[in-house]
Amino acid sequence: MSLLSVHGLTRRFGGLVALDGVSFDVHEGEIKAVIGPNGAGKSTLFNCISGFDAPTCGHVVFAGVAVAGMKPHAVVRAGMARTFQNTQLFDEMTGLDNVLAGMHAVTHTGMLAASLRLPGALREERRSREEARRLLRLVGLGDAADSQAGDLPHGLRRLLEIARALASRPRLVLLDEPAAGLNTAETRELADVLYRVRDGGVTVVVVEHDMGLVMEVSDGIVVLDRGCKIAEGPPRLVQKDRAVIEAYLGEEPSDDV
Amino acid sequence: MRGRDSYIAWALVAAAAVAVLALPLLTSDRYLLKVFTFVGLNAIVVTGLALLFGYAGQISLGHAAFFGIGAYASGFVTTKLGWPFLAGLALAVGLSAVGGLLLALPSLRLKGHYLAMATLGFSEIASILFVEAKPITGGNDGLSGIPYAAVGALRFSTPQANYWLVWGVAIAAVLAVSGIVSSRPGRAMAALHGSELGASACGIDPASVKTGAFTVSAGLAGLAGCLYAHVLGFVAPSSFALDTSIVLVAMLVVGGSRSLAGPVAAAALLTLVPFADSILPGLSPATVAFLQEWKGDISGVVIIAVMLFAPGGIAGVVRALRGRFGGPGRPTRAGAVSAGPASVAEEEGSAV
Amino acid sequence: MHAAELLQFVIAGLKNGSIYALVALGFTIVYAATGIINFAQGEFYMLGGMVSVFVLGALKVPLAVAIAGGVALTVVVGALVERLALRPRRDAGQLTLIIITIGVSLLLRSVARHAFGANELSLPAFSPGPSVMFMGAAIERQALWVWAITAVSVVGLWLVYEKTSFGRAMKACSISHEAARLMGIDTARVVALAFALAAGLGAIAGAAVTPLTSTAFDVGARIGLKGFAAAILGGLGDFRAAVAGGLALGLVESLSVAYISSTYKDAIALVVLLAVLFLRPQGLFGRMAKEKV
Repeated sequence: MSLLSVHGLTRRFGGLVALDGVSFDVHEGEIKAVIGPNGAGKSTLFNCISGFDAPTCGHVVFAGVAVAGMKPHAVVRAGMARTFQNTQLFDEMTGLDNVLAGMHAVTHTGMLAASLRLPGALREERRSREEARRLLRLVGLGDAADSQAGDLPHGLRRLLEIARALASRPRLVLLDEPAAGLNTAETRELADVLYRVRDGGVTVVVVEHDMGLVMEVSDGIVVLDRGCKIAEGPPRLVQKDRAVIEAYLGEEPSDDV
Repeated sequence: MRGRDSYIAWALVAAAAVAVLALPLLTSDRYLLKVFTFVGLNAIVVTGLALLFGYAGQISLGHAAFFGIGAYASGFVTTKLGWPFLAGLALAVGLSAVGGLLLALPSLRLKGHYLAMATLGFSEIASILFVEAKPITGGNDGLSGIPYAAVGALRFSTPQANYWLVWGVAIAAVLAVSGIVSSRPGRAMAALHGSELGASACGIDPASVKTGAFTVSAGLAGLAGCLYAHVLGFVAPSSFALDTSIVLVAMLVVGGSRSLAGPVAAAALLTLVPFADSILPGLSPATVAFLQEWKGDISGVVIIAVMLFAPGGIAGVVRALRGRFGGPGRPTRAGAVSAGPASVAEEEGSAV
Repeated sequence: MHAAELLQFVIAGLKNGSIYALVALGFTIVYAATGIINFAQGEFYMLGGMVSVFVLGALKVPLAVAIAGGVALTVVVGALVERLALRPRRDAGQLTLIIITIGVSLLLRSVARHAFGANELSLPAFSPGPSVMFMGAAIERQALWVWAITAVSVVGLWLVYEKTSFGRAMKACSISHEAARLMGIDTARVVALAFALAAGLGAIAGAAVTPLTSTAFDVGARIGLKGFAAAILGGLGDFRAAVAGGLALGLVESLSVAYISSTYKDAIALVVLLAVLFLRPQGLFGRMAKEKV
C-alpha cells in the first residue's frame, strides 16, 4: 500500500492544461523527487495535492483518505505538510514562534483556556516550546530560535520553513524547491536534513531543479514535462531516459544546475 | 519573551496596575477621575481591537458600532425593562459578540480595503439604526436615566467606585487577552496576519481565526459600551459614530501592531490630550487655546505623522530600542551566530 | 403612482447617480493607477464646493471663475496629498496606505472646519431660472448642469485614456508598475497625475451639487461611501463600470425612496455596498482576481 497515491490528476485553467492525467505512488519512508523543465506543472501538482488548488479531475489518496479538494488546513490535519517555492514564513515572528505556529494542528489550547492561563494550557505551551526547539536543532537552526524570521538569510529561511512543516508531525512532507538559492555548502546541509527527516519516519516528496541533490538523495524520481508524466523510476534509470533528456535539452539552461 | 525579559515585563505590568488602581486614593477630583475612567473604557475596547487588528491583521473601521450595541443593549434593558445590571452586562457582551460574528462570516473572503469598507458600511448602518430605532434607542436624544452598575447589594455610585469598576475590568481584560496572544490562539492570529498561505500550511483555518478574533473583539467593545452607559448614565448616537471608530483606529496605529501595551498607552495618550488643559496645570494660555481649538482633530494628524515617521508606533519604537541594546545576533550559517555580517571566509566555495 | 411622479423619482435618481458616478470615477482612477482605495476621495468633493464658495465670497469674482478656482485649488491639494503623504510610503503594504488616506481624510476635514467654519454653505445656481418641464416632471436647471458636467468629464476622461500617451501610461500602470517602469514610464508622475485627476473630478462634482444641496465640512464621509459603493457596484478598475454603477446606485436609492420610505434613504447605499462586498465583490462587470501560490 502506498502512502500517497496520485491518480489521473488533471488541472485545466480554461484552455491551458497544466496537469494531464498524472499518476504516481509514493511509498512510506521514501524520498521521492519530482523534476521537470520550467512550466512542467510541478507547483500545480503540489498545490493540488496539498489543497491549495483543486484538480479538475483525478484522485489524490493519502493514507487511505481521499484528499483532493480538501482545504489546505484539513490536509495538514490529515498528515501532509508542505513548504513553498516563495517561502511563506511569518517574518515578524521569531524562528521559534514560526515553528510553534506550525504545531497548531497537533495542539488544542483555545482562547478560553489561554485567557485564563489554565494549567493544561501552560503545560501544553511548555511542551510545545521544547518540541519546537528540538525541531529547530534537527534542521540546524538551534541558535536562530529567537531571531526574527525576516532577518534570517535566505538559506536559513528555507530550513526554518522545513522545521515549521515538520512541526505538525506529518507523515509526509512536500518540499517545493528547498535548495533554490542555496550554495554548495548549504545544499550539502540540506541533504543531511532530508536524511534526518526520512530517518525520523517522515516520507519526503521534493520538487527540485538541483540535479546533483536529486540524484543523490532520492529513492525514486517522477519526471513531468508540460503537464504529463514522461518517466518514473530510480535515479540511475531516469538519468538515461531518452524522453527526459530531450525534454531538458529543449529548455534554457538554468543557473543552478 | 523568556526568562529575565518576562520577569521585567510582569513587574512593569504589576507596577502600572498598582499605580492605576491607586489613583482614587491620591485625588478626589471628580473631573479627573471621570477622564481617567474614560481612558479605562477606551483601554478595554482597544485591547479587543488590538487582537483583531494588531495581531490578526483584520482592519475594522467600525468598532464604535459594537461599543454602541453594548451601551444601548444594557441601557435599554436596565431602564425600560428593569433588568439587573449583570443581566444587562451579559446581554451587552452577548449581542455585540453576535454582531461581530455576523459581520465576520460574510467578510471572510474580504481583505484590505474591501474589508475596511465592509466594516465601515456595517458601522454606518448601525449608526442609522441608533438614530432611527426610537422605541429602543430614544433616537437622537438617546437613553437617559441609566442606573448605576450594581452587583448584589454593591452599587457603584461614586466616581471612585466607577473608576475601580472600569479599571478592574480593564486590567482583567488586558491580562486575559495577553494570555491569548502569548499562546497558541494568538500565534494563529499573528500567523494569519503574516501570511495567510503560510498559516493554512500550518493547519490554521483562516475562517475560524478571523471569526474568533472578530467575535472576541466585538464582545470586549460591547463590554466597554455597557460600562460606559452605566458610568455616564446616558447614551446618545453621536458617541458611536464614525469619528469614534477612527479614533480607535488611531490608537491602534499609534500603539503599533502585535502589542497590547502600545495600544493601551496610545489610548491613554489620545484620550487625555484633549483634556490636557485640565490635567497639566502649568500649560501656557496659548497652548490651552490651541488644544481647545484642535482637540477633535488630532487623530488625523497623528495617524499621518505616525505612518510617515514611525510606522511601527510605540511598540515599534520600543522594539527597536530593545534591539539596539541587546538581543540575539544574526545567524549566518546553520549553527553559527555572529553579531555582524557574515564573514566571507566562513563560506566555502559559494556559488555566484 | 403616476407616470409623472415616477419620472420625477427617476430624474432625481439619475441626477444623484451622476454625482456618484463622478466620485466613483475618482476612486477608480486612483485604484487603477495605484491599487489602493483613496479614503480621502470624499473630501475632494467637499473641498470643491467649499473652496468655490470661499473664493466667490472672498474675491467677488464671477461664479464660473470661483468654481474654476475651487476645482483648481482642490487639484493642487490632491497633488500635495499624493506627494507628501503617500509617495514617501509608496512601498508599504495596503493596510498602511489605507490608514494614511484615512488620516488625510480626517486632516482635510479638520482644516476645512477651521478655515471655513462649521456651517452649511451654498452656491448660487449656475444658470438661474425655473425648472424645465419634461413629460410632466420638473427638472431643475442645475440638474442639467450636473448631467452636462458629468457627460463632458466622462468623454474627456475617455479621450485622455484612449488618445494620449498619459492615458496609455495609466493603463500600463494599472497592469503592473514594474513592467511600466521597465518600459520607461515615470510611474511616480502617473500616480501624481492620477491623484490630481481624481481630485479634480471630485471637486467638480462637489461644486456642481452645492447649489442643490449645500455643502459643509463633513459631507465628505457619506459621499465617499456612496461613491465607493457605486464604484464597486460597477466593478472597481473600469471607468464605464464606475459610471454605470453610479447611475444604478442613484436609481436604486431614488426608487427605494419612492416605494419604501425616505427615512432610510442613506442606508440604501450602505446595503448595496454590503451586498456587493459580501455577494459579488467584483461588481456587476468586474472579474475576480485569484491569489497565486
